[in-house]
Formats: sequence, C-alpha cells, structure tokens
Amino acid sequence: MEKLYIKTDDWQEFIKEKIKEKIIYAPFEENNLLFYQIVDEKNIEKIVYNRIRTVEPVKIFLFPFKERILPEINDLNEIIVMGVTSCDLKGLEILDKVYMEGEFKDPNYKKRKENLFVISFDCNEPYDSCFCWLVGVNPYPEKNFDLNLSLIEDGFIVEIGSQKGKEFIGNDRRFYNVNESQLKKMKEKREKVIEKVKEKNREFDFNKIENLKGMVEKEYWQRIKDIDNCVSCGSCNFNCPTCVCFLLEDISENGNFKKVKVYDACLFPGYARMASGATPRPTLYDRYANRILCKYWYMIENFKITGCTGCGRCISGCIGKIDKRKVITELLREKVNV
Amino acid sequence: MFKMDRNIYQPVKCEVIDNIKESPNINTIVLKPEREFSFLAGQFASLTVPGIGEAPFTPSSSPFDKEKLEFTVMKVGRVTEKIHQLKKGDIVGVRGPYGKPYPLEEFKGKEILLVGGGVGLAPIRALFLALVETYKDYKKIVFCCGAKTPADYIYKDKLFGEWQNLCEKIPLSFRITVDRKDENWKYMEGVVTCTLDGLDIDVKNGVSVVCGPPIMMKFTTLKLLEIGFSENSIYLSMERKMYCGVGHCRHCLIGDLFVCKDGPVFKYSEIKDKPNIWV
Repeated sequence: MEKLYIKTDDWQEFIKEKIKEKIIYAPFEENNLLFYQIVDEKNIEKIVYNRIRTVEPVKIFLFPFKERILPEINDLNEIIVMGVTSCDLKGLEILDKVYMEGEFKDPNYKKRKENLFVISFDCNEPYDSCFCWLVGVNPYPEKNFDLNLSLIEDGFIVEIGSQKGKEFIGNDRRFYNVNESQLKKMKEKREKVIEKVKEKNREFDFNKIENLKGMVEKEYWQRIKDIDNCVSCGSCNFNCPTCVCFLLEDISENGNFKKVKVYDACLFPGYARMASGATPRPTLYDRYANRILCKYWYMIENFKITGCTGCGRCISGCIGKIDKRKVITELLREKVNV
Repeated sequence: MFKMDRNIYQPVKCEVIDNIKESPNINTIVLKPEREFSFLAGQFASLTVPGIGEAPFTPSSSPFDKEKLEFTVMKVGRVTEKIHQLKKGDIVGVRGPYGKPYPLEEFKGKEILLVGGGVGLAPIRALFLALVETYKDYKKIVFCCGAKTPADYIYKDKLFGEWQNLCEKIPLSFRITVDRKDENWKYMEGVVTCTLDGLDIDVKNGVSVVCGPPIMMKFTTLKLLEIGFSENSIYLSMERKMYCGVGHCRHCLIGDLFVCKDGPVFKYSEIKDKPNIWV
C-alpha cells in the first residue's frame, strides 16, 4: 500500500480544512481516558495521536446502543472517524461478517458502514489490559482502513488503504513521498510497542486456545475462583467491539410496523430466558462460559474468525476486577490436568 | 419473492380471521396475509402484535394452504397473552419463513414416526398435513400424541375425527395417550413415551420427529434410542429465546448452532454434545 509522509502541523491544517465540510470524530482526553468527540476549530489542537484505544469501540458508530431498525434510518451522513486502533478494525471485520455478509443484511449497519471513513492510528502506549498480541492482532493497523497514521517524531507516515483514502488526500502538496529512514523509524517503533504488549502479558498463556473448544461442562468453570466475582453487569458485553447481541422492541403504531434494536448482554440472567421461565443458562458459570466460548469457539464456527480482538475493554471495564486472560490461562491449565 | 433491498424486519400485514380456543391455555389464531406467505413444514415465522412485541412460532396450518396461516399458541408470557386476546379484524404482522424445514426428501420411502406432546403438536400438525398430501412417498406414518389430560388436547375435532378416518385410506395409525385420564377416555394412559412400547415400526428404515416440552423431548429421545433409532434418524424441534430470526442477535444459540438458521429442526446427532440442550 502506498505510504506518504506529512508533518504534524500540516496534518492539523489539513484536518482543519476538512472539518469545514465533513463530520470528523477523533480521540480526546478526559480523566486520563480517551473518548471520541467531533473535531471543531476550538478543540483540534487537543486531538490525541500518541496514545492508545478509546473507551468506546468504533462499533458505536455502526451499531449504536439503541436505534430504530424498522423502518430503517435513511438520513445517514458520511462520518470520518480518526484514531481507530488495530483491535477495533478487527472488530469491524467481525461485525461485517455478522451483519453484512450473510443471507440477511442489517439495513442500518450496511448503510452506516458505507458511510464510514476510517483514519486509524498505530498504538503507542498500551494499557495493562491490552492483549492484542495474544490473539494474533498487531498493535498497528494492517488492513480495513482508508488511511492509517503512524506517528514518528514530528510527523506521520500516512498509509493509504483504499481508493476513498487516496481521494481524500488528492494531490495535496503537504504530503511527501516517504523515505527509508522514516520507514525504519516506524518499524522500530512498532516493534517496541509489540514488546510492550508482550511484556504486559508475560504471565498469560493463550497457546492452545483452541482447547477451549468443547469445554462446556460447568465443572471446568466452577473451579476458576475469579468467575465468582462477576456481578452480571454486562459491562464486558457493552464495551466489547465484537459483541453483536441485541433485542428488538416493537413500537408499532397506527398500522405502521416499527421496531427498535437495543444492545443485550449474554451475562444478564434474563438474556436467554424464555417466556416459560426456563433458560438454557441458569447459572453464572453457564453464562460466563457462554461469553468466552462465543468468542473463542462459536464465532470461529459461525464466521471463520476469532471473536476477540485483544482490546482489553472487558478487563478494564470489569467491576468484579476479573482478568479474562487469567481466567483463560487457568482454564487451559485445568483442561490439561483433567 | 421479496425485493432484495427489502428491510429484513418488515412483517407482512395479516388480518385475524378467527381465534379458536383449543384447550384451557392454548389458542389457534387464523390469519389472512395481505400477500402470499409460503413456508415449508418445520420452518417458523416471527409474529408481531403491534406495540406489544414479537415472538417466533411454527405455523400449524398446512404448507399447502395458500389462503390462510394458522399459529397454535400457548399462553405463557406477555406476547402470547395478547395473542389470546386478538379479535377478528385485528391486524398483526408475520415475517419469515425462517430456518430449515423437515427434510421431506430424506423421508421418502421410509416409515415415519411423529411424536408430539401438548402444544408441541402444533408444528407436527403442519408436517402431518404435508405428509398426508404426499403420503405415497412414505411407507407408513405412525402418529403418537400425548397431553396432560383429555381437556388439554389441541385439535380435538380433527384428532378424534377426520384425521383418524384417514387411517382407512392411507398407511397411517395413531397412538394417543394422556398423563391422567377421565371416565370418558378410551385411549392410553401414561406419559407420551408409553406410546412407543410395542411399536410396529422398522427402526432401521424409519425416521422419528419429536416436538414437545423439553422434558418430553428428552425422555422420548432416550426411548427412541433404546428401541433402536439411530441418532441421525431422530429429528427434534428446538426452542430458544429469539429476536431477529436471521442469525444476528445470537439469543437462540445452542453452543455454536443457531436455532433460527441451522434449525429449528435438528438431528439429535447434531446437538447431542452441545451445552444444556434439554432446558
């Protein structure tokens, strides 16, 4: 893919021109965490380029918490989202498979995806909860973006990932051809970040993750003490870039059918409960096992892709302080010992 | 049939033309769809009661009946309670059909055993009516039914009338039981598995179709295995919480299998190793 170089100040100017005609979201800091906000002339200097993932996954732009699905939403504008990380791009790949690539297409998702322009960033400062490397994802985007920015010293290497990306830059003279020494710097930086992620995950072992397949007996899960700390709040579900579950509410009126789609969480005790009161997952262990198995087994069977991106939001957002990496490492050890 | 860009959640408008009381807690609603709604036996549809909610049901009418659509519904929750209250002229929505039907092609030349319990007779009825239409394709049909008491039976008029009259014309027989009989009952007494004792069926060239409450499905399956049916020849109609019906919302997963897409009809061999199949 074609790579260019632009100085940081020039990029800021370039974006300042773009926001006159386009809606651009970017990461901004709040309480030491990053959140997406719309870029305007006042906040443009505060865009954070040198950190890590946002609190919300990019999923929220395509699959919001609650939206009308019937009739579908028609007046959707193009949006540009800056600062999407590699893990979240992997998340979009999974969402596409669920909502767009099967026999049935989710009407809003498809339109929103077509209207989304992604400017991804390399990760710079991994959180303690980051574990992309454990699930085969690198901390820098390699595909599924329109443009990717790799921060090197006083500028960015801009990788063009799509025709739309190419057109976005056009013939702007502020972009130069990239040189060897800049590419070398990018490569070294990326390797350093991988080392940081590895370092944060030294005590966890995901080799043989495929052994989770078939671990349906509750006994395995009951032996993992940390699972008892789960309070079924659903935070891991709602923060996850690959959780796709929703429920439908019917709000039809005056002879017109209307439906609303709302997030649902498989850790809620009522998630799979049927009208009769019976549920196939009556205990916390059944529900916790389902979430893990969904990511590392069921989604592979369903869509030929692992349902985890290693973003670590399920860890950082857990009010029971459960570290999923520890749970999985212990489970895999259990399986060997049985 | 549909335009490809049609919203997947758009139901077909249907007018309620009858709401028949079958048993103390089960009704059959008869619908006239605004346009043709085709399905194959075993497939299901999502029924919307406007402003209240939506739930999946397998139609109980014959797939060959293009004029109307029937659903037999037990009152258990919010949506089904409203369905019981529907009156002639009310409007509901139906979208689908979804899921895989009973594989009638594979049933050809075989002896077919139908086992239905309680409201589980509803999907079996659609299958039974389809089998009757094409009875020459099968060696014979044995229909085993169960209910708690005689009053709990659905389709009483048909089951104790015209359906049994068919036995004189086509290779069909019935075995009918109740858990607790009353003084007028002239059939068997005992849970539905007792109809499988001394059954005259060639299990090596037979298929069995089971639908009913989970406990009934479990013990019927175990009994069928015991009398020699293979795990591949037992077809189960599975039920799970469901919203989308199209493999998106993931509520209906049994392990990695979608009831809405891969089912609702499964061979026992497909699901036997999945978690918590008998809810």
